[in-house]
Amino acid sequence: MRIVAIESATPAASVSLAEDLRVIASARRVDRQGHVSFLIPALDFLFDQAGWAPTDVDLVAVDVGPGLFGGIRAGLSTAQALAGAVGARLAPVGSVDAVALRAATAHRKIWAVVDARRGEFAVAPYQPVPGGVVREGAVELVSAEAFRGILASDRTESLVVGDWEALPEAVFRGMHGIRTGRPRYPSSEAVAELGYARAVKDDLPHPDEVRPRYLREPDVRIKWSDFRREEPWQ
Amino acid sequence: MTDTPVILGIETSCDETAVAVVDGYRVLSNVLASQVDAHARFGGVVPEVAARAHVEAIRALTHRALAEAGIHPMDLDAVAATRGPGLAGALMVGFSYGKALAWALGKPFLGIDHMEGHLFAPRLDDPDYAPPAVVLLASGGHSQIIHLKQWGDYEVMGSTIDDAAGEAFDKLARFLGLGYPGGPAIDKESEGGDPTAVRFPRALADRPFDFSFSGLKTSVVTYVRKHHRDGTLPPIPDLAASIQEAIVDALVAKTFNAVEEAGVGAVAGGGGVLANRRLRVRMAEEAASRGVALHLPSPVMCTDNGAMVAAAAVYRFGLGERTDPASDIDSSLRLGR
Ligand SMILES: [Zn+2]
Repeated sequence: MRIVAIESATPAASVSLAEDLRVIASARRVDRQGHVSFLIPALDFLFDQAGWAPTDVDLVAVDVGPGLFGGIRAGLSTAQALAGAVGARLAPVGSVDAVALRAATAHRKIWAVVDARRGEFAVAPYQPVPGGVVREGAVELVSAEAFRGILASDRTESLVVGDWEALPEAVFRGMHGIRTGRPRYPSSEAVAELGYARAVKDDLPHPDEVRPRYLREPDVRIKWSDFRREEPWQ
Repeated sequence: MTDTPVILGIETSCDETAVAVVDGYRVLSNVLASQVDAHARFGGVVPEVAARAHVEAIRALTHRALAEAGIHPMDLDAVAATRGPGLAGALMVGFSYGKALAWALGKPFLGIDHMEGHLFAPRLDDPDYAPPAVVLLASGGHSQIIHLKQWGDYEVMGSTIDDAAGEAFDKLARFLGLGYPGGPAIDKESEGGDPTAVRFPRALADRPFDFSFSGLKTSVVTYVRKHHRDGTLPPIPDLAASIQEAIVDALVAKTFNAVEEAGVGAVAGGGGVLANRRLRVRMAEEAASRGVALHLPSPVMCTDNGAMVAAAAVYRFGLGERTDPASDIDSSLRLGR
């Protein structure tokens, strides 16, 4: 299975090409802005290096968040267009899951963190298992203070990975049994691996149902009654 | 297939997700999903809501535009998307989608200036529309008078110094409790109203090509408050018709000042405000009385749409222009610079 993985939900944007679980090539850039200008030139370069054509692609895996709203939408729009153009399948992947997957840990419980901006963080607990991690609860959006409360009441030896540097230092002050580690951001390699896992289990939604995972609801809900073609001034 | 380029155009600069396929300046399909209902509660476009809606609609709309046009993606000669100006989060969706679609198909990509799209909209299915012309572009986001000297050579002769015309409609409709968007609401309410019931000010006599609508806004508010207190407020249709007349008067007068100054024989229009029925009538009357040719697109081609983006792309594609895949959106793009 030839996989293109797109990661642009955090300040670190990256793209990877993989064959099943084997990563062929990757490109990465850390910059909060500029995901729109990065993705296609990076893919073009990797395809050129790998000798791939877009029509070779079987699966497009993409990080749908939570994270930077603009980055998520740029990544998903790119993935939708690419998958649609060549008839590839589309696999949505969660940013927090992608961070946790690459957590280098012994046997500690893992807390993965993605900065969702506006003082909120997407967090979820994971248990390391052979060959990966298993999520033990839903991804939640919490304040730094609430996260400290969760860690304090958890009382388990834990490893915090992801963008914990974005948390105020006070979160970890006086906390015992908590360590921090890498990675800071999700990677397209992890996105490729998680996308592949969903594809082999045939656990893929219809492309029209693949939506960004904001966690933070907007103030209004969009009702898509139908596609209007009529004169809007009547 | 044909000697004219077949181009898919994507427009997501504001609150319409719009995709169209053109063959040269012939429209093969033109589909859009309007978010008006979603924004109505707020009396304006909410950027985050707009961006979310675009990403939910863009895929299905693109497939639908291709299907309705009977065009296989591989038969496209190019893909175009609005690059700016507009809401950054909204632009990003269509621009990323268009760029990726073009790349995956191995086709050229063109990032298009939204305003140039409006300038090209009258050209769709109207081969007689050609420079030189004066074009009135008026919507909720912009009000400008452009001297279209030749394709690609545009001089901004006048613009609003405060609110855009569509914004003035929105604010006044909200003040009168007529709903959102304000232009269609006032247009509808004006029906049967007397446009001469109240004489509101026509601003900026000293600046022949510029608009100002804040004075009108203030005078309407003052007038309504006073007469409401006195119990002498005219019926809403009269009030709406009078407000509409003041805005329309200003737009028509400044546009034809520009026609005179530029010495052109053609006048055109674009932007949502050009869908206003009274404005269309007045533009037609004025053009006829001066012997100037009028090229007003249908209302659906005046409001934001994908076909106008594709039309501008037909011209740019013909010049051999291509947009670099490393390019980004430009939310503050300015025509003629
Ligand atoms: Zn417009």
